[in-house]
Amino acid sequence: MGLMEEALQMVSEDAEKHGLETIDKVSLIVGDLSNVLPDALRFAFDAFCKTGEIPRIGERAQLEIIRERGLARCALCGKEYEPSEYLALCPECDMPFGVIQSGETFKIESYEGS
Amino acid sequence: MKITLEKDVMENNDRAAEFNRQLFRQSKTLVINIMSSPGAGKTTILEKTAAALSGQFRIAVIEGDIATERDADRVRATGVRAVQIATEGECHLDPRMIAKVLPDINLEETDILFIENVGNLVCPSEFDLGQDHRIVVLSTPEGNDKIPKYPLMFHVTELALINKIDLLSYTSFDLEKAQEDLRGINPSSRIMPLSARTGEGFDDWLNWVKEAYQACQKR
Repeated sequence: MGLMEEALQMVSEDAEKHGLETIDKVSLIVGDLSNVLPDALRFAFDAFCKTGEIPRIGERAQLEIIRERGLARCALCGKEYEPSEYLALCPECDMPFGVIQSGETFKIESYEGS
Repeated sequence: MKITLEKDVMENNDRAAEFNRQLFRQSKTLVINIMSSPGAGKTTILEKTAAALSGQFRIAVIEGDIATERDADRVRATGVRAVQIATEGECHLDPRMIAKVLPDINLEETDILFIENVGNLVCPSEFDLGQDHRIVVLSTPEGNDKIPKYPLMFHVTELALINKIDLLSYTSFDLEKAQEDLRGINPSSRIMPLSARTGEGFDDWLNWVKEAYQACQKR
């Protein structure tokens, strides 16, 4: 709830600067390794839409979650692979401690308003 | 109308944490953010730590809880200054909550500030408070699988206090396995077994705090 509120406040403030009255859609980028759960975000988003406690976020607002896949590079053989959580273990050479290349993002990509 | 924002959601938090960090640097206060699940023993560890170190250092504690002043009262009973933050439903502390209570702390007269986060192994790990060190407490009855199940918490912390080792023989907790799992998630962290109740292993922790304090005076 806290993270969604943070994101929606940022969108709401930006929309105010652009003179928009309502926000129709919010697009977030959520990385597989960001520890942010898309289902929890959707739940929180729906709750804020219903309560109307954040200015310009109403019942009709839509949420889009764009997934960013996790990617790690093996420190030994250089292979790039999708790690499971933070136990980044190379599938080729069994070397742990893969260096995370992507998947930690949690940001607002864009929004649509009118 | 579509507006591209490309803004990190944590941006405001990170900025607030940096603000706190500057204040801690100026006053040369060592700040330790302690996290764990509910009941792992954070408050007991802080009570004993405050009692052991308050002769040498000026200590203050910020207690984070969803409701009540209970933990702050327990810490105050040791003679140390304690400020309670009631988060009113939020499951973690964020850096702005910390900034708001700093005037009550008086950093210039504080050598070591402990921040006891809300009992939760998930959300507190996502919020930088501006601290020098983040540590986690895991108690033996909780079991070994907390480490692989909450990887971010063990990824962002640099020390895992394994509390309640006086109960080790009544649980299936395996200290070697804990160290091994931790190494896979965070090679620069390590476990430190202790019992806040019996005092076993507690000197290691007190020495760690003292060394961290010395290091923070030199920066």
